[in-house]
Amino acid sequence: MRDDCDVLIVGAGPSGAVAAQEFARAGMRVTCLEQGDWPDYEKARAGHADFELTSRKYWNWDPNQRRAAGDYPIDDTESDITALMYNGVGGGTVLYAAHWERFLPSDFRTRTMDGVGDDWPIGYWDLEPYYDEVERQFAVSGLEGDPALPPTTPPPLPPVPLNKLGRRGAEALNKLGWHWWPGSNAIATADYGPLHACAQRTACPFGCPTGAKASADRTHWRALAKDQVRLTVRATVEQVLLDDRGRATGVTYLDADGVRHEIRAGVVVLCANAIGTTRILLASADGTGVANSSGLVGRRLMMHPFGNAIGIFDEDLESWRGPLGQYLHSLEFYESDRSRGFVRGAKWNLLPSGAPLSFMLPGTWGDEPVWGANFTRLLRERHGHSAIWGVICEDLPDPANRVLLDEQAAADGVPGVRIQYRTSDNSRAMMAWHLERLSEVLDAMGAKKKIFNPNLRGTGWHLMGTAVMGEDPDASVVDPHGRCHDVPNLYVFDGSVFPTSSGVNPTATIAANALRCARSLVAHRRDVEVPA
Amino acid sequence: MTTARKGEDRGTTVPPDARARLGQVADAMIESGAGLPSGAQAGVHTGLLDQVVKTRPDLVAPLLRALDELGPDPGLAAVERLAERRPELYEALALVVAGGYLMSSRVTAPLKYRFAEIKIVDPRDIAVVVEEGLLDAVAERTPFYRLPPDAPPEHRP
Ligand SMILES: Cc1cc2nc3c(=O)[nH]c(=O)nc-3n(C[C@H](O)[C@H](O)[C@H](O)COP(=O)(O)OP(=O)(O)OC[C@H]3O[C@@H](n4cnc5c(N)ncnc54)[C@H](O)[C@@H]3O)c2cc1C
Ligand code: SF4
Repeated sequence: MRDDCDVLIVGAGPSGAVAAQEFARAGMRVTCLEQGDWPDYEKARAGHADFELTSRKYWNWDPNQRRAAGDYPIDDTESDITALMYNGVGGGTVLYAAHWERFLPSDFRTRTMDGVGDDWPIGYWDLEPYYDEVERQFAVSGLEGDPALPPTTPPPLPPVPLNKLGRRGAEALNKLGWHWWPGSNAIATADYGPLHACAQRTACPFGCPTGAKASADRTHWRALAKDQVRLTVRATVEQVLLDDRGRATGVTYLDADGVRHEIRAGVVVLCANAIGTTRILLASADGTGVANSSGLVGRRLMMHPFGNAIGIFDEDLESWRGPLGQYLHSLEFYESDRSRGFVRGAKWNLLPSGAPLSFMLPGTWGDEPVWGANFTRLLRERHGHSAIWGVICEDLPDPANRVLLDEQAAADGVPGVRIQYRTSDNSRAMMAWHLERLSEVLDAMGAKKKIFNPNLRGTGWHLMGTAVMGEDPDASVVDPHGRCHDVPNLYVFDGSVFPTSSGVNPTATIAANALRCARSLVAHRRDVEVPA
Repeated sequence: MTTARKGEDRGTTVPPDARARLGQVADAMIESGAGLPSGAQAGVHTGLLDQVVKTRPDLVAPLLRALDELGPDPGLAAVERLAERRPELYEALALVVAGGYLMSSRVTAPLKYRFAEIKIVDPRDIAVVVEEGLLDAVAERTPFYRLPPDAPPEHRP
């Protein structure tokens, strides 16, 4: 390997972080280009009166609203779900709720076991050792022994406390005889490496002020950027460059002043998420696209339809406090049962309601008018007294759900994207059925009011599927190790490569798979075809 | 009534007549009750507004436009009309009123919302849960994940 660097990584989210660490440990010269900046934790205001107003701007999940350095336009007018992300060092983990879930064995075999989607070219046990490793890298707290999952190595830290609210949920599920297990979260429950023990500020998706949440800027990049990896921020990659033989030679990128640079590399690894990676692949070769002989780049976008069931209780459950990771999860109805009228399943997780503005602005807290005489009554009723059950539905791949370039909307000269996405009938049936079961759970918890939100729009947290991996170059974009079938030294390590989405949060699997692919690249680096 | 006159600073200053109007609308949107003050009693148009503006200067311009749009009688009916006709302005107004209100210690104290208080997690909590037997029923369940036909033999029951 040669050139300006051995490996050039695009994107400093968790997949880029895990890969960068692995390459650096193998002695490779690594450069990472990140279009956004370092997160400004001065703006992480939990513990202060202005927390919620600040969060709605600086930690807004929707890049179209946040419009910070690194954000690019995403036209979602043709989508049922808004795509959410954080563009900066740490990527989505700066904002993630840190629910840390392994996929289940059946998630890798949906075609064989349920006749839908596609089997992965790898299985659960191929990823298992990598799950173990990344769980240590991301300070995962949880408890081994969950009967819904294969036996695992104990996570490095004990789980977050159940508090009053988690207990209420656990007792209700026990009453119904349904599964639950203490939450698995990338949240430190004791001081751990660079992280501090969680202070229960309920701010996880708005930039953790304590430094307890394992976001990749804190767990990986601060140390890596010191002396192991050249990390350049405010560097927006435009195109992957190819030589005459179709090998990647590097990329072009624009700096914060809009000045174009070219950087050469032996290998290019895209870790820009299912939307950002598509944007780069389609914009390359001056908009003709690269690595797309299958025609699948940008297609099969999966975003996990999400809904919730809210319960309001007479008792004060102190639901303004606690980790906004998950107290517990339930996989009781995760595996397929076609008698329910749909195929595949969903995960439930129990959360505290958090700070009050989120439930006092009209929107997702039912039909009761908020303003006028109701405001103070509803505030009293909800504050500290509310529980939220989240439902993540497995999203099956559909080539019509896709990411396209939007030449009209350009951020600093690089095209924006538009997404076309429709929630399937299967997902809708799944959501309706699961909310009915959660209604039973809320009854068992003693809720005096119940509110249901099927298929919320602003919930596209999990971006997957747009550069699918597989053995067959006609039916996939990358091979089982993330290498593009069409360009032998161009790789994709983010969630784009997922053939199916599972019904759980994806970051554990994104990180584990990135580590697996990076290790494979290191092992075979002498065989990688680099530019002449 | 026009709250922001031509040529007036539409940057981050909220002029007195706009403040007065905000007080009126804040009282309509949040009436006192349940032991909590009304919007204006809490200071949504005075001290709290200053804090909101400091935190979110970007809200000032849409707030002033919202106050203009409310028309001569800035009551709840006008707010509802605004929500229908100019949702983006309504959103800014709602953020200023509810966001400001919830910053007031006259509101957070009676709610016992101690947002500044930290409570470091106790990692021994789970031991108590286990000891109490809360997890017993579920821990004793036989594993119920499905095994793919090609699962390695050592992982089969
Ligand atoms: C609010 C929120 C809550 C979430 N909660 C959870 C959760 O509880 N559990 C869970 O498992 N997952 C959660 N997620 C999802 C999780 O954040 C993502 O799965 C994860 O971050 C994906 O990692 P990645 O490295 O593949 O991509 P990202 O984290 O998206 O990182 C990609 C990086 O690439 C950069 N990039 C993109 N294009 C370019 C370019 N052209 N040039 C240079 N840089 C570029 C981006 O700026 C970004 O920093 C959540 C996400 C959000 C937004
Ligand atoms: S609950 Fe814990 S992890 Fe979440 S923001 Fe607060 S301190 Fe950070």
